Amino acid sequence: MKLINFNKNNIDKAINELVIDKNTNEPIIIIHDLNKENTKDETSLKIKIKENINASFIEVFINNKEQKKEHNFKREFEVEGNASLEYLKYQDISENTSLNIDSNITLKQNAKINITNFELGLGINKNNFNTNLDAENSNLNIFGLVKLYEKSNSYSIFNTVHNAKNCSSNVSYKHSLHDASKAIYEAKSIVNEEALYSKVLQNSNTILLSDDAVIFARPHLEINIDELEASHGATTGSLDKEQLLYLQARGIPLNKAYEMLLKAFENEVYDNIKDLKIKEFVTKFKKSDYV
Amino acid sequence: MLLNIKNLNVNIENKEILKGLDLKINPGEVHVLMGQNGTGKSTLVKTLSAHYDCEVTNGEIEYKDKNLLEMGVAQRANEGIFMSFQNPVEVKGVNNSYFLRTAINEKRKYHKEEELDTMEFLKLTKKELAKYDIDKKLMQRDLNDGFSGGEKKRNELVQLLLLKPDLIMLDEIDSGLDVDAVKVVAKVVNDLLKDKNRSLLMITHYDKLLSHIKPDFVHILKDGKIVKTGDYSLALELDSKGYEAIGIEDETN
Repeated sequence: MKLINFNKNNIDKAINELVIDKNTNEPIIIIHDLNKENTKDETSLKIKIKENINASFIEVFINNKEQKKEHNFKREFEVEGNASLEYLKYQDISENTSLNIDSNITLKQNAKINITNFELGLGINKNNFNTNLDAENSNLNIFGLVKLYEKSNSYSIFNTVHNAKNCSSNVSYKHSLHDASKAIYEAKSIVNEEALYSKVLQNSNTILLSDDAVIFARPHLEINIDELEASHGATTGSLDKEQLLYLQARGIPLNKAYEMLLKAFENEVYDNIKDLKIKEFVTKFKKSDYV
Repeated sequence: MLLNIKNLNVNIENKEILKGLDLKINPGEVHVLMGQNGTGKSTLVKTLSAHYDCEVTNGEIEYKDKNLLEMGVAQRANEGIFMSFQNPVEVKGVNNSYFLRTAINEKRKYHKEEELDTMEFLKLTKKELAKYDIDKKLMQRDLNDGFSGGEKKRNELVQLLLLKPDLIMLDEIDSGLDVDAVKVVAKVVNDLLKDKNRSLLMITHYDKLLSHIKPDFVHILKDGKIVKTGDYSLALELDSKGYEAIGIEDETN
C-alpha cells in the first residue's frame, strides 16, 4: 500500500493519491472531523486499486455544531482490471454544515466497485457521481441510505454511461425523511450502442415520516440498444399500515412497531455491504467516539 | 365471563356488516362461527382485535370485566387476545425470532414480569417447537417473508404457542392446509385448551378441523347477526345437509 502526498496538515489544495497494491485485510479508514478541517477550497483524493487487488475503504464525515461553513471534496476512484473496491461513506453532519462531494469513477476490465453511502443527520449535502463504463465486464453498485431530520437537504446526482459490453450498474437509494427535510435523487444512465448485454438498474424508495418532508426522485434511462436488462423505479409512501397492525396485534406498541419497520427498511442498505468488517464498523459506529 | 358482546354494530367502509350481534364466551369454552361468505364472521374477530377497517357504531364489548373498546391493538394483545390472520402480511427485514422475542417481552413487561434474555428465549422456542415438530428454521427467516401459505399458518401457530393467549381467535386457519397440518393445528390448540381459563373462537367452513377440536357452541351468522346456536351436531348437520336444509337461505344468491 502506498500513500502519496497525503498530508493532513497540508490537505488544502493538495492532490493526493492513494495507491492500494495489496489486499486490505482491514478497511482503510479516514475520519474527517469537519470542525478541524479548514477545507474552504476543494480537497482531492484519488483512490487507485491495482490489478487483481481487493480493497475496502471507509470515509467518515462528521462534526458537531459549527458556524455556517461549506466543505468541498473531490474523489476519484480508479479500479484496475480484475480488482474490486468496497467503499463506505458515512456522514453525520451538523445543521450549519454544507458538504459537497464530487466523485468520478473509472473501472477497468472485470473491475468492480461497491459504494455505500450513509447520509445521516442534518445540514446540506450534495453528492455527484460520474461514471463511464468503458471497459468490458465492469460492475458499478451505488447504494445509499438518506436519513434526514429537521430542515436538512440532500442532493444525490448520478450520471452513468455504458460504453462497453457486459457492464452492470445499479444505483439504489432509500430515503427516510423526517420533519421538513428534503431529498433529491436524480439518476441518469445512458446505454450506448457498443454496450451490448448491459444491466442497468435504478431505484429510489422513500418513506415520508412527516407531512412536510419532500422527495424529488427522477430515475432516467436513455437506451440505444435492445440487448440489455434495465429497470428503473421510484416509490414514495409511509410505513405499511398492515405491517404496523400485525406487529401491534402481537402486543408490540405502536411506537416500537414503527421503529422496527423503519429499521427494516433502512437495513436493506446495510445488507448490501459485502465486507463484514465494514458492516461491523457501521454497527458499532458512535459519533461521540470521534468528535 | 371472559367476553360479553352486546348489540354490536360494526361498519367497514361505511357499510354496516355486523348488525346487533350478541355473544358470550366463558373461560374454557370453544365457540365456532359458521356462515356463508360476507355474513360478518371475519369482521367480528377483526373488531375484537381492533383492526383499523372496523368502525364500531353501536354496542358494548366487555373482556375480563373491562371495556375492550377503550383498548388499543397492542393492549388487547397483551391482555390475552390473539387473532390468527387469514393471510399474514410479509415483513421483510424484521427477523422472525427478534419479532417474537419482542412480542413476548412486551407482554411480560405489560404484566410486570421479568423479560426473557436471548438464551432463555431460544431455550423456550426450542422446547415448544420440538413438541410439535415445527421446523425451527422458520425462526431464522424474516417475518413471513417468502413463506408459503402453509409456513405462514405454522408461523401463526408458533406465535400462538409462545404468547399463550387467553382468547384464541382462529380465522380459517385450516384453509389451504393438508390433513397432517390440520392435525398439528388441532394438537397445538387442544394442548393450549387444557388450561381451562383459556377460550377459543374459531371461524371455519369445514368439518375437518372440528373433528379434532370439539366445539361447545356452534353459531351460525347471517346478515351480521347470530341466527342459530347449537352444539357440535349443528356443524355436522350443516356439513351434511347445507345451509338451506337447516333454514338458512343463501345470501349470495
